[in-house]
Amino acid sequence: MPTDGPVVNVHVLFFAKSRELARTPRSEVDVPAQIVASELLEQLVARFDLTSIRDNLILAHNETYIENLSDKIHFKEGDELAIIPPLSGG
Amino acid sequence: MIELGVEEERTKLKREIAELRAALYSKEQSLLYLDEIVSAAAARGVDEDAPESPTRTLHTKLTNDDIARYSRQLILPDFGVQGQLKLKNSSVLIVGMGGLGCPAAQYLAAAGCGHLGLVDYDHVERSNFHRQILHSETRVGWTKPDSARFALLELNPHCEIRSHVRLLNRFNALNIIRSYDVVLDCSDNVATRYLLSDACVMLQKPLVSGSALKMDGQLTVYNYANGPCYRCLYPVPPPKESVTNCGDGGVLGAVTGTIGAMQALEAIKVIVGLGDVLAGRLLIFDGSTSLFRNIRIRNKRPNCHVCSAQPLITQLIDYEMFCGMRANDKDAEQNLLSVGDRLKVKEYQEQLQTQQHLLIDVRPPAEFEICQLPGAVNVPLAEILDDSYIKRFGSQLEDKDLPIILLCRRGNDSQIAVQHVRSRFPKHSIRDLIGGLHAWTNTVDPSFPIY
Repeated sequence: MPTDGPVVNVHVLFFAKSRELARTPRSEVDVPAQIVASELLEQLVARFDLTSIRDNLILAHNETYIENLSDKIHFKEGDELAIIPPLSGG
Repeated sequence: MIELGVEEERTKLKREIAELRAALYSKEQSLLYLDEIVSAAAARGVDEDAPESPTRTLHTKLTNDDIARYSRQLILPDFGVQGQLKLKNSSVLIVGMGGLGCPAAQYLAAAGCGHLGLVDYDHVERSNFHRQILHSETRVGWTKPDSARFALLELNPHCEIRSHVRLLNRFNALNIIRSYDVVLDCSDNVATRYLLSDACVMLQKPLVSGSALKMDGQLTVYNYANGPCYRCLYPVPPPKESVTNCGDGGVLGAVTGTIGAMQALEAIKVIVGLGDVLAGRLLIFDGSTSLFRNIRIRNKRPNCHVCSAQPLITQLIDYEMFCGMRANDKDAEQNLLSVGDRLKVKEYQEQLQTQQHLLIDVRPPAEFEICQLPGAVNVPLAEILDDSYIKRFGSQLEDKDLPIILLCRRGNDSQIAVQHVRSRFPKHSIRDLIGGLHAWTNTVDPSFPIY
Protein backbone atom coordinates (compact mmCIF):
# COMPACT_ATOMS: atom_id res chain seq x y z
CA MET A 1 0.00 0.00 0.00
CA PRO A 2 1.21 3.52 -0.74
CA THR A 3 2.75 5.26 2.19
CA ASP A 4 4.32 8.36 3.55
CA GLY A 5 5.42 8.12 7.13
CA PRO A 6 5.89 5.00 9.24
CA VAL A 7 4.41 1.72 8.08
CA VAL A 8 3.27 -1.28 10.10
CA ASN A 9 2.31 -4.81 9.19
CA VAL A 10 -1.24 -5.87 10.11
CA HIS A 11 -3.26 -9.09 9.79
CA VAL A 12 -6.33 -8.85 7.63
CA LEU A 13 -9.08 -11.43 8.16
CA PHE A 14 -11.75 -11.99 5.53
CA PHE A 15 -15.17 -13.40 6.31
CA ALA A 16 -18.01 -14.81 4.17
CA LYS A 17 -18.28 -13.15 0.73
CA SER A 18 -15.08 -11.14 1.20
CA ARG A 19 -13.14 -14.39 1.56
CA GLU A 20 -14.41 -15.48 -1.85
CA LEU A 21 -13.61 -12.17 -3.46
CA ALA A 22 -10.14 -11.89 -1.90
CA ARG A 23 -9.58 -15.61 -2.57
CA THR A 24 -7.99 -16.05 0.86
CA PRO A 25 -9.17 -16.19 4.48
CA ARG A 26 -6.31 -13.99 5.73
CA SER A 27 -3.50 -11.82 4.53
CA GLU A 28 -0.76 -9.59 5.88
CA VAL A 29 -0.66 -6.04 4.67
CA ASP A 30 1.63 -3.06 5.22
CA VAL A 31 -0.41 -0.01 6.14
CA PRO A 32 0.50 3.49 7.27
CA ALA A 33 0.58 3.67 11.06
CA GLN A 34 -1.95 6.49 10.76
CA ILE A 35 -4.60 6.49 8.09
CA VAL A 36 -8.12 7.82 7.62
CA ALA A 37 -10.54 4.87 7.68
CA SER A 38 -12.17 5.69 4.34
CA GLU A 39 -8.78 5.74 2.67
CA LEU A 40 -7.88 2.44 4.27
CA LEU A 41 -11.15 0.98 3.03
CA GLU A 42 -10.47 2.18 -0.52
CA GLN A 43 -7.03 0.60 -0.48
CA LEU A 44 -8.37 -2.72 0.79
CA VAL A 45 -11.21 -2.69 -1.74
CA ALA A 46 -8.80 -2.08 -4.61
CA ARG A 47 -6.24 -4.59 -3.46
CA PHE A 48 -8.64 -7.44 -2.66
CA ASP A 49 -11.36 -6.97 -5.33
CA LEU A 50 -14.04 -5.98 -2.83
CA THR A 51 -15.81 -3.39 -5.01
CA SER A 52 -19.15 -5.26 -5.06
CA ILE A 53 -19.45 -5.21 -1.26
CA ARG A 54 -17.66 -1.98 -0.39
CA ASP A 55 -20.80 -0.22 0.90
CA ASN A 56 -22.07 -3.21 2.84
CA LEU A 57 -19.29 -4.36 5.07
CA ILE A 58 -18.17 -4.03 8.63
CA LEU A 59 -14.55 -3.04 9.04
CA ALA A 60 -13.28 -3.98 12.49
CA HIS A 61 -9.96 -2.96 14.00
CA ASN A 62 -8.89 -5.28 16.84
CA GLU A 63 -12.45 -6.61 17.13
CA THR A 64 -14.02 -3.15 17.27
CA TYR A 65 -16.24 -1.77 14.53
CA ILE A 66 -14.86 1.31 12.84
CA GLU A 67 -17.89 3.51 13.30
CA ASN A 68 -16.88 6.59 11.44
CA LEU A 69 -15.06 6.36 8.15
CA SER A 70 -13.67 9.86 8.54
CA ASP A 71 -11.85 8.85 11.75
CA LYS A 72 -8.10 8.46 11.73
CA ILE A 73 -7.00 4.93 12.62
CA HIS A 74 -3.80 4.31 14.56
CA PHE A 75 -2.19 0.96 13.84
CA LYS A 76 0.44 -0.92 15.77
CA GLU A 77 2.50 -3.74 14.35
CA GLY A 78 0.49 -7.00 14.36
CA ASP A 79 -2.94 -5.36 14.74
CA GLU A 80 -5.91 -7.18 13.34
CA LEU A 81 -8.34 -5.91 10.73
CA ALA A 82 -11.49 -7.88 9.97
CA ILE A 83 -13.67 -7.48 6.91
CA ILE A 84 -17.17 -8.69 7.62
CA PRO A 85 -19.95 -8.50 5.05
CA PRO A 86 -23.50 -9.36 6.18
CA LEU A 87 -24.79 -12.89 5.70
CA SER A 88 -28.42 -13.22 4.74
CA GLY A 89 -28.89 -16.97 4.32
CA GLY A 90 -30.62 -19.29 6.72
CA MET B 1 -40.72 -53.06 -21.99
CA ILE B 2 -44.19 -52.50 -20.54
CA GLU B 3 -42.63 -51.73 -17.19
CA LEU B 4 -40.34 -49.23 -18.79
CA GLY B 5 -43.32 -47.44 -20.34
CA VAL B 6 -45.16 -47.44 -17.03
CA GLU B 7 -42.13 -46.03 -15.27
CA GLU B 8 -41.87 -43.20 -17.81
CA GLU B 9 -45.58 -42.44 -17.49
CA ARG B 10 -45.26 -42.34 -13.71
CA THR B 11 -42.36 -39.96 -13.87
CA LYS B 12 -44.21 -37.77 -16.34
CA LEU B 13 -47.35 -37.67 -14.18
CA LYS B 14 -45.32 -36.88 -11.07
CA ARG B 15 -43.66 -34.02 -12.88
CA GLU B 16 -46.97 -32.69 -14.18
CA ILE B 17 -48.50 -32.88 -10.71
CA ALA B 18 -45.53 -31.02 -9.27
CA GLU B 19 -45.86 -28.33 -11.93
CA LEU B 20 -49.60 -27.96 -11.31
CA ARG B 21 -48.94 -27.72 -7.58
CA ALA B 22 -46.38 -25.01 -8.19
CA ALA B 23 -48.78 -23.09 -10.44
CA LEU B 24 -51.60 -23.46 -7.91
CA TYR B 25 -49.31 -22.35 -5.14
CA SER B 26 -48.16 -19.26 -6.98
CA LYS B 27 -51.78 -18.29 -7.69
CA GLU B 28 -52.68 -18.83 -4.04
CA GLN B 29 -49.82 -16.57 -3.03
CA SER B 30 -50.97 -13.85 -5.43
CA LEU B 31 -54.48 -14.14 -4.01
CA LEU B 32 -53.16 -13.97 -0.44
CA TYR B 33 -51.23 -10.88 -1.33
CA LEU B 34 -54.30 -9.17 -2.78
CA ASP B 35 -56.38 -10.30 0.20
CA GLU B 36 -53.90 -8.66 2.50
CA ILE B 37 -54.01 -5.38 0.61
CA VAL B 38 -57.80 -5.45 0.88
CA SER B 39 -57.85 -6.33 4.55
CA ALA B 40 -55.20 -3.74 5.36
CA ALA B 41 -57.24 -1.08 3.61
CA ALA B 42 -60.46 -2.09 5.31
CA ALA B 43 -60.83 -1.92 9.05
CA ARG B 44 -58.90 -4.72 10.67
CA GLY B 45 -61.43 -7.54 10.99
CA VAL B 46 -61.01 -11.04 12.28
CA ASP B 47 -58.04 -12.72 10.70
CA GLU B 48 -55.82 -15.57 11.71
CA ASP B 49 -52.80 -13.35 12.29
CA ALA B 50 -54.68 -11.00 14.57
CA PRO B 51 -53.14 -10.59 18.00
CA GLU B 52 -54.49 -12.91 20.61
CA SER B 53 -56.97 -11.45 23.06
CA PRO B 54 -55.20 -9.89 26.04
CA THR B 55 -56.85 -12.39 28.35
CA ARG B 56 -53.92 -14.79 27.97
CA THR B 57 -53.56 -16.52 31.34
CA LEU B 58 -50.66 -15.36 33.41
CA HIS B 59 -49.06 -18.36 35.09
CA THR B 60 -47.81 -17.77 38.61
CA LYS B 61 -47.08 -21.38 39.57
CA LEU B 62 -45.33 -24.31 37.98
CA THR B 63 -47.21 -27.60 37.69
CA ASN B 64 -45.72 -30.89 38.87
CA ASP B 65 -45.22 -31.79 35.24
CA ASP B 66 -43.32 -28.55 34.68
CA ILE B 67 -41.09 -29.29 37.66
CA ALA B 68 -40.30 -32.80 36.47
CA ARG B 69 -39.87 -31.77 32.84
CA TYR B 70 -37.67 -28.72 33.40
CA SER B 71 -35.82 -29.93 36.52
CA ARG B 72 -32.36 -29.79 34.93
CA GLN B 73 -32.71 -26.11 34.09
CA LEU B 74 -34.77 -25.20 37.18
CA ILE B 75 -31.77 -26.01 39.38
CA LEU B 76 -29.60 -23.49 37.53
CA PRO B 77 -29.12 -20.72 40.11
CA ASP B 78 -29.61 -17.86 37.60
CA PHE B 79 -32.65 -19.44 36.02
CA GLY B 80 -34.80 -21.08 38.68
CA VAL B 81 -38.56 -21.06 39.15
CA GLN B 82 -38.87 -17.37 38.27
CA GLY B 83 -36.99 -17.92 35.01
CA GLN B 84 -39.18 -20.88 34.13
CA LEU B 85 -42.33 -18.88 34.84
CA LYS B 86 -41.13 -16.02 32.69
CA LEU B 87 -40.49 -18.47 29.89
CA LYS B 88 -43.90 -20.08 30.37
CA ASN B 89 -45.57 -16.67 30.11
CA SER B 90 -43.52 -15.58 27.12
CA SER B 91 -44.27 -15.61 23.41
CA VAL B 92 -41.66 -15.80 20.67
CA LEU B 93 -42.17 -15.33 16.95
CA ILE B 94 -39.83 -17.27 14.68
CA VAL B 95 -39.67 -16.01 11.12
CA GLY B 96 -38.43 -18.70 8.75
CA MET B 97 -38.79 -22.40 9.59
CA GLY B 98 -35.61 -23.47 7.84
CA GLY B 99 -32.09 -24.30 8.95
CA LEU B 100 -32.08 -21.65 11.70
CA GLY B 101 -35.75 -21.66 12.65
CA CYS B 102 -36.00 -25.42 13.22
CA PRO B 103 -33.29 -25.77 15.89
CA ALA B 104 -34.28 -22.43 17.46
CA ALA B 105 -37.92 -23.54 17.75
CA GLN B 106 -36.87 -26.93 19.02
CA TYR B 107 -34.85 -25.54 21.93
CA LEU B 108 -37.45 -22.91 22.78
CA ALA B 109 -40.32 -25.40 22.82
CA ALA B 110 -38.25 -27.92 24.76
CA ALA B 111 -37.23 -25.30 27.33
CA GLY B 112 -40.84 -24.46 28.04
CA CYS B 113 -41.51 -21.28 26.12
CA GLY B 114 -45.28 -20.92 26.51
CA HIS B 115 -46.22 -19.53 23.12
CA LEU B 116 -44.47 -19.87 19.79
CA GLY B 117 -45.47 -18.36 16.47
CA LEU B 118 -43.99 -19.88 13.32
CA VAL B 119 -43.88 -17.94 10.04
CA ASP B 120 -43.04 -19.45 6.66
CA TYR B 121 -44.79 -19.57 3.29
CA ASP B 122 -42.82 -22.50 1.90
CA HIS B 123 -43.45 -26.23 1.71
CA VAL B 124 -41.29 -29.08 2.98
CA GLU B 125 -39.08 -30.78 0.41
CA ARG B 126 -36.32 -33.38 0.48
CA SER B 127 -33.45 -30.92 0.09
CA ASN B 128 -34.50 -29.36 3.43
CA PHE B 129 -33.86 -32.36 5.67
CA HIS B 130 -30.10 -32.10 6.06
CA ARG B 131 -30.50 -28.90 8.08
CA GLN B 132 -34.20 -28.32 8.75
CA ILE B 133 -34.39 -31.00 11.38
CA LEU B 134 -38.03 -30.66 12.44
CA HIS B 135 -39.37 -31.71 9.05
CA SER B 136 -39.41 -35.30 7.93
CA GLU B 137 -39.99 -37.63 5.01
CA THR B 138 -43.64 -38.23 5.93
CA ARG B 139 -44.45 -34.50 5.79
CA VAL B 140 -43.08 -33.60 2.37
CA GLY B 141 -45.47 -31.11 0.80
CA TRP B 142 -46.79 -29.81 4.16
CA THR B 143 -46.33 -26.15 4.88
CA LYS B 144 -43.23 -25.64 7.00
CA PRO B 145 -45.03 -24.05 9.97
CA ASP B 146 -47.51 -26.94 10.09
CA SER B 147 -44.79 -29.55 9.78
CA ALA B 148 -42.69 -27.88 12.47
CA ARG B 149 -45.71 -27.46 14.73
CA PHE B 150 -46.44 -31.18 14.42
CA ALA B 151 -42.89 -32.10 15.46
CA LEU B 152 -42.74 -29.53 18.27
CA LEU B 153 -46.00 -30.67 19.87
CA GLU B 154 -44.56 -34.16 20.05
CA LEU B 155 -41.60 -32.71 21.89
CA ASN B 156 -43.63 -30.52 24.23
CA PRO B 157 -47.44 -30.72 24.14
CA HIS B 158 -47.70 -27.82 26.61
CA CYS B 159 -46.33 -25.29 24.14
CA GLU B 160 -49.00 -23.28 22.36
CA ILE B 161 -47.97 -22.98 18.75
CA ARG B 162 -49.49 -20.85 16.02
CA SER B 163 -48.70 -21.39 12.37
CA HIS B 164 -48.60 -18.28 10.21
CA VAL B 165 -48.45 -19.66 6.67
CA ARG B 166 -47.51 -16.33 5.15
CA LEU B 167 -44.84 -14.59 3.24
CA LEU B 168 -44.18 -11.78 5.66
CA ASN B 169 -44.70 -8.40 3.98
CA ARG B 170 -45.36 -4.80 4.84
CA PHE B 171 -49.12 -5.35 5.05
CA ASN B 172 -49.17 -8.25 7.48
CA ALA B 173 -45.91 -7.91 9.45
CA LEU B 174 -46.99 -5.48 12.21
CA ASN B 175 -50.21 -7.35 12.80
CA ILE B 176 -48.41 -10.66 13.18
CA ILE B 177 -45.48 -9.41 15.27
CA ARG B 178 -47.51 -7.23 17.64
CA SER B 179 -48.59 -9.96 20.06
CA TYR B 180 -45.14 -11.50 20.58
CA ASP B 181 -42.47 -10.49 23.11
CA VAL B 182 -39.36 -11.44 21.13
CA VAL B 183 -38.78 -11.98 17.41
CA LEU B 184 -36.24 -14.36 15.86
CA ASP B 185 -34.98 -13.54 12.37
CA CYS B 186 -34.35 -16.97 10.88
CA SER B 187 -35.08 -15.79 7.35
CA ASP B 188 -33.07 -16.44 4.23
CA ASN B 189 -33.17 -13.13 2.36
CA VAL B 190 -32.19 -9.48 2.61
CA ALA B 191 -35.66 -7.96 2.05
CA THR B 192 -37.16 -9.85 5.00
CA ARG B 193 -34.20 -8.84 7.19
CA TYR B 194 -34.89 -5.11 6.61
CA LEU B 195 -38.65 -5.65 7.01
CA LEU B 196 -38.21 -7.42 10.36
CA SER B 197 -35.74 -4.87 11.64
CA ASP B 198 -37.97 -1.91 10.77
CA ALA B 199 -41.08 -3.61 12.15
CA CYS B 200 -39.33 -4.51 15.41
CA VAL B 201 -38.13 -0.91 15.85
CA MET B 202 -41.69 0.34 15.28
CA LEU B 203 -43.15 -2.14 17.78
CA GLN B 204 -40.17 -1.98 20.17
CA LYS B 205 -39.44 -5.70 20.11
CA PRO B 206 -35.98 -7.20 20.53
CA LEU B 207 -34.86 -8.98 17.35
CA VAL B 208 -32.56 -11.98 17.64
CA SER B 209 -30.97 -12.08 14.23
CA GLY B 210 -29.13 -15.15 12.95
CA SER B 211 -27.78 -16.01 9.54
CA ALA B 212 -25.65 -18.71 7.98
CA LEU B 213 -24.14 -19.68 4.65
CA LYS B 214 -21.60 -22.29 3.65
CA MET B 215 -19.44 -22.71 6.79
CA ASP B 216 -20.12 -19.24 8.23
CA GLY B 217 -22.61 -17.95 10.74
CA GLN B 218 -23.48 -14.58 12.31
CA LEU B 219 -25.58 -13.67 15.30
CA THR B 220 -26.59 -10.52 17.16
CA VAL B 221 -29.56 -9.03 19.00
CA TYR B 222 -30.89 -5.82 17.47
CA ASN B 223 -33.07 -3.17 19.02
CA TYR B 224 -32.30 -4.24 22.57
CA ALA B 225 -31.16 -2.06 25.50
CA ASN B 226 -30.88 0.99 23.26
CA GLY B 227 -28.59 -0.87 20.86
CA PRO B 228 -28.49 -0.50 17.08
CA CYS B 229 -30.93 -1.88 14.52
CA TYR B 230 -30.05 -3.70 11.29
CA ARG B 231 -30.20 -0.42 9.36
CA CYS B 232 -27.72 1.25 11.71
CA LEU B 233 -25.22 -1.37 10.61
CA TYR B 234 -26.27 -1.66 6.99
CA PRO B 235 -28.01 1.54 5.86
CA VAL B 236 -27.82 0.46 2.20
CA PRO B 237 -28.87 -2.98 0.96
CA PRO B 238 -26.15 -4.99 -0.79
CA PRO B 239 -26.17 -5.29 -4.58
CA LYS B 240 -28.01 -8.37 -5.76
CA GLU B 241 -24.94 -9.98 -7.31
CA SER B 242 -23.06 -9.95 -4.00
CA VAL B 243 -25.75 -11.98 -2.22
CA THR B 244 -25.45 -15.76 -2.28
CA ASN B 245 -28.28 -18.02 -1.11
CA CYS B 246 -28.06 -21.49 0.45
CA GLY B 247 -29.39 -23.09 -2.74
CA ASP B 248 -26.42 -21.77 -4.70
CA GLY B 249 -23.68 -21.46 -2.09
CA GLY B 250 -24.54 -24.49 -0.02
CA VAL B 251 -24.60 -24.69 3.76
CA LEU B 252 -23.77 -27.33 6.35
CA GLY B 253 -26.61 -28.30 8.68
CA ALA B 254 -24.42 -28.28 11.77
CA VAL B 255 -23.53 -24.64 10.99
CA THR B 256 -27.15 -23.43 10.78
CA GLY B 257 -27.81 -25.66 13.82
CA THR B 258 -25.10 -23.91 15.83
CA ILE B 259 -26.49 -20.45 15.08
CA GLY B 260 -30.14 -21.51 15.46
CA ALA B 261 -29.48 -23.04 18.89
CA MET B 262 -27.72 -19.83 19.93
CA GLN B 263 -30.71 -17.77 18.76
CA ALA B 264 -32.84 -19.80 21.18
CA LEU B 265 -30.27 -19.14 23.91
CA GLU B 266 -30.31 -15.36 23.32
CA ALA B 267 -34.13 -15.33 23.27
CA ILE B 268 -34.20 -17.18 26.60
CA LYS B 269 -31.68 -14.70 28.06
CA VAL B 270 -33.77 -11.75 26.87
CA ILE B 271 -36.97 -13.24 28.34
CA VAL B 272 -35.50 -14.40 31.64
CA GLY B 273 -33.10 -11.48 32.09
CA LEU B 274 -30.13 -13.78 32.34
CA GLY B 275 -26.44 -13.11 31.66
CA ASP B 276 -25.21 -10.64 29.05
CA VAL B 277 -27.40 -10.54 25.97
CA LEU B 278 -25.47 -10.47 22.68
CA ALA B 279 -26.50 -6.89 21.89
CA GLY B 280 -24.01 -4.30 20.63
CA ARG B 281 -21.81 -7.23 19.66
CA LEU B 282 -21.77 -9.35 16.54
CA LEU B 283 -20.83 -12.98 16.95
CA ILE B 284 -19.04 -14.41 13.96
CA PHE B 285 -18.72 -18.16 13.66
CA ASP B 286 -16.29 -19.73 11.24
CA GLY B 287 -17.23 -23.39 11.09
CA SER B 288 -14.16 -24.33 9.07
CA THR B 289 -11.76 -23.28 11.86
CA SER B 290 -14.30 -23.57 14.71
CA LEU B 291 -13.47 -20.01 15.73
CA PHE B 292 -15.99 -17.75 17.41
CA ARG B 293 -15.31 -14.03 17.43
CA ASN B 294 -17.14 -11.17 19.05
CA ILE B 295 -16.93 -7.84 17.27
CA ARG B 296 -18.01 -4.81 19.20
CA ILE B 297 -20.41 -3.12 16.79
CA ARG B 298 -21.53 0.45 16.53
CA ASN B 299 -24.03 2.27 18.70
CA LYS B 300 -27.27 3.48 17.21
CA ARG B 301 -26.61 5.54 14.08
CA PRO B 302 -27.59 9.10 15.08
CA ASN B 303 -29.25 9.64 11.69
CA CYS B 304 -30.71 6.14 11.28
CA HIS B 305 -33.77 6.35 9.02
CA VAL B 306 -35.80 4.18 11.37
CA CYS B 307 -34.51 4.00 14.95
CA SER B 308 -33.09 7.50 15.49
CA ALA B 309 -34.96 10.25 17.33
CA GLN B 310 -36.07 11.80 14.03
CA PRO B 311 -36.87 8.82 11.81
CA LEU B 312 -37.55 9.36 8.10
CA ILE B 313 -39.31 6.04 7.79
CA THR B 314 -42.29 5.72 10.12
CA GLN B 315 -44.25 3.02 8.35
CA LEU B 316 -43.22 -0.14 6.58
CA ILE B 317 -42.16 0.21 2.96
CA ASP B 318 -41.88 -2.10 -0.05
CA TYR B 319 -38.78 -4.05 0.93
CA GLU B 320 -38.49 -5.99 -2.30
CA MET B 321 -38.28 -2.70 -4.15
CA PHE B 322 -35.94 -1.16 -1.58
CA CYS B 323 -33.55 -4.12 -1.87
CA GLY B 324 -34.10 -4.83 -5.57
CA MET B 325 -34.49 -8.47 -4.58
CA ARG B 326 -37.38 -10.81 -3.91
CA ALA B 327 -38.23 -11.74 -0.32
CA ASN B 328 -37.24 -15.38 -0.82
CA ASP B 329 -34.10 -17.30 -1.60
CA LYS B 330 -35.31 -18.80 -4.87
CA ASP B 331 -33.41 -18.02 -8.03
CA ALA B 332 -35.29 -16.09 -10.62
CA GLU B 333 -34.90 -17.29 -14.20
CA GLN B 334 -32.78 -14.82 -16.12
CA ASN B 335 -33.06 -13.90 -19.75
CA LEU B 336 -29.79 -12.34 -20.80
CA LEU B 337 -29.84 -13.90 -24.26
CA SER B 338 -32.58 -14.01 -26.87
CA VAL B 339 -34.24 -17.39 -27.40
CA GLY B 340 -32.67 -17.78 -30.85
CA ASP B 341 -29.24 -17.64 -29.27
CA ARG B 342 -30.06 -20.54 -27.00
CA LEU B 343 -30.75 -24.22 -27.35
CA LYS B 344 -33.47 -26.40 -25.85
CA VAL B 345 -32.06 -29.51 -24.15
CA LYS B 346 -34.21 -31.68 -26.45
CA GLU B 347 -32.73 -29.98 -29.53
CA TYR B 348 -29.26 -30.51 -28.16
CA GLN B 349 -29.95 -34.19 -27.56
CA GLU B 350 -31.51 -34.76 -30.99
CA GLN B 351 -29.34 -32.61 -33.22
CA LEU B 352 -25.99 -32.01 -31.62
CA GLN B 353 -25.12 -34.68 -29.10
CA THR B 354 -23.97 -37.15 -31.75
CA GLN B 355 -21.95 -34.55 -33.71
CA GLN B 356 -18.56 -33.04 -33.00
CA HIS B 357 -18.95 -30.21 -30.52
CA LEU B 358 -17.42 -28.71 -27.41
CA LEU B 359 -19.63 -29.08 -24.34
CA ILE B 360 -18.51 -26.83 -21.49
CA ASP B 361 -20.11 -27.12 -18.05
CA VAL B 362 -19.53 -23.86 -16.16
CA ARG B 363 -20.55 -25.03 -12.69
CA PRO B 364 -18.08 -25.08 -9.77
CA PRO B 365 -16.04 -28.33 -9.56
CA ALA B 366 -17.88 -29.57 -6.44
CA GLU B 367 -21.15 -29.44 -8.39
CA PHE B 368 -19.63 -30.96 -11.53
CA GLU B 369 -18.56 -33.90 -9.40
CA ILE B 370 -22.18 -34.61 -8.42
CA CYS B 371 -23.34 -35.28 -11.99
CA GLN B 372 -22.35 -34.36 -15.52
CA LEU B 373 -23.49 -34.92 -19.11
CA PRO B 374 -21.46 -37.30 -21.30
CA GLY B 375 -18.49 -35.56 -22.92
CA ALA B 376 -18.84 -32.41 -20.82
CA VAL B 377 -15.68 -30.65 -19.70
CA ASN B 378 -15.71 -28.56 -16.55
CA VAL B 379 -14.67 -24.93 -16.84
CA PRO B 380 -16.03 -23.01 -13.83
CA LEU B 381 -17.58 -19.65 -14.67
CA ALA B 382 -14.71 -17.81 -12.95
CA GLU B 383 -12.25 -19.35 -15.44
CA ILE B 384 -14.48 -18.29 -18.32
CA LEU B 385 -14.64 -14.73 -17.01
CA ASP B 386 -10.89 -14.41 -16.44
CA ASP B 387 -10.17 -15.96 -19.89
CA SER B 388 -7.95 -18.71 -18.48
CA TYR B 389 -9.98 -21.24 -20.50
CA ILE B 390 -8.56 -19.88 -23.76
CA LYS B 391 -5.17 -21.41 -23.18
CA ARG B 392 -6.71 -24.73 -22.26
CA PHE B 393 -8.76 -25.04 -25.44
CA GLY B 394 -6.37 -23.15 -27.71
CA SER B 395 -6.41 -25.47 -30.75
CA GLN B 396 -10.10 -26.39 -30.52
CA LEU B 397 -11.08 -22.74 -30.43
CA GLU B 398 -9.27 -22.09 -33.71
CA ASP B 399 -11.92 -24.13 -35.52
CA LYS B 400 -14.80 -21.74 -36.19
CA ASP B 401 -17.08 -24.58 -37.30
CA LEU B 402 -16.92 -26.45 -34.03
CA PRO B 403 -20.14 -25.62 -32.17
CA ILE B 404 -19.63 -24.61 -28.56
CA ILE B 405 -22.36 -25.40 -26.05
CA LEU B 406 -22.27 -24.01 -22.52
CA LEU B 407 -24.37 -25.34 -19.69
CA CYS B 408 -24.90 -25.04 -15.95
CA ARG B 409 -27.41 -26.15 -13.34
CA ARG B 410 -30.38 -23.98 -14.27
CA GLY B 411 -29.37 -21.99 -17.32
CA ASN B 412 -28.44 -18.65 -15.73
CA ASP B 413 -24.65 -18.74 -15.40
CA SER B 414 -24.39 -20.38 -18.82
CA GLN B 415 -25.90 -17.22 -20.37
CA ILE B 416 -23.27 -15.05 -18.70
CA ALA B 417 -20.65 -17.45 -20.05
CA VAL B 418 -22.08 -17.28 -23.60
CA GLN B 419 -21.96 -13.48 -23.54
CA HIS B 420 -18.35 -13.56 -22.46
CA VAL B 421 -17.08 -16.28 -24.79
CA ARG B 422 -18.95 -14.73 -27.70
CA SER B 423 -17.22 -11.41 -27.14
CA ARG B 424 -13.89 -13.23 -27.53
CA PHE B 425 -14.95 -15.45 -30.44
CA PRO B 426 -17.64 -13.55 -32.36
CA LYS B 427 -17.45 -15.83 -35.43
CA HIS B 428 -18.14 -19.07 -33.54
CA SER B 429 -21.48 -20.72 -32.91
CA ILE B 430 -21.84 -20.37 -29.14
CA ARG B 431 -25.07 -21.23 -27.38
CA ASP B 432 -26.24 -22.43 -23.99
CA LEU B 433 -28.83 -24.94 -22.81
CA ILE B 434 -32.11 -23.37 -21.70
CA GLY B 435 -32.92 -24.51 -18.16
CA GLY B 436 -29.59 -26.30 -17.82
CA LEU B 437 -29.35 -29.69 -16.14
CA HIS B 438 -32.72 -29.22 -14.45
CA ALA B 439 -34.33 -29.09 -17.89
CA TRP B 440 -32.30 -32.13 -18.92
CA THR B 441 -33.79 -34.13 -16.01
CA ASN B 442 -37.28 -32.80 -16.65
CA THR B 443 -37.46 -33.30 -20.40
CA VAL B 444 -34.78 -35.75 -21.52
CA ASP B 445 -33.61 -38.10 -18.80
CA PRO B 446 -35.69 -38.38 -15.62
CA SER B 447 -33.02 -40.62 -14.09
CA PHE B 448 -30.46 -37.80 -14.20
CA PRO B 449 -29.95 -36.56 -10.62
CA ILE B 450 -31.35 -33.19 -9.62
CA TYR B 451 -30.02 -31.03 -6.80
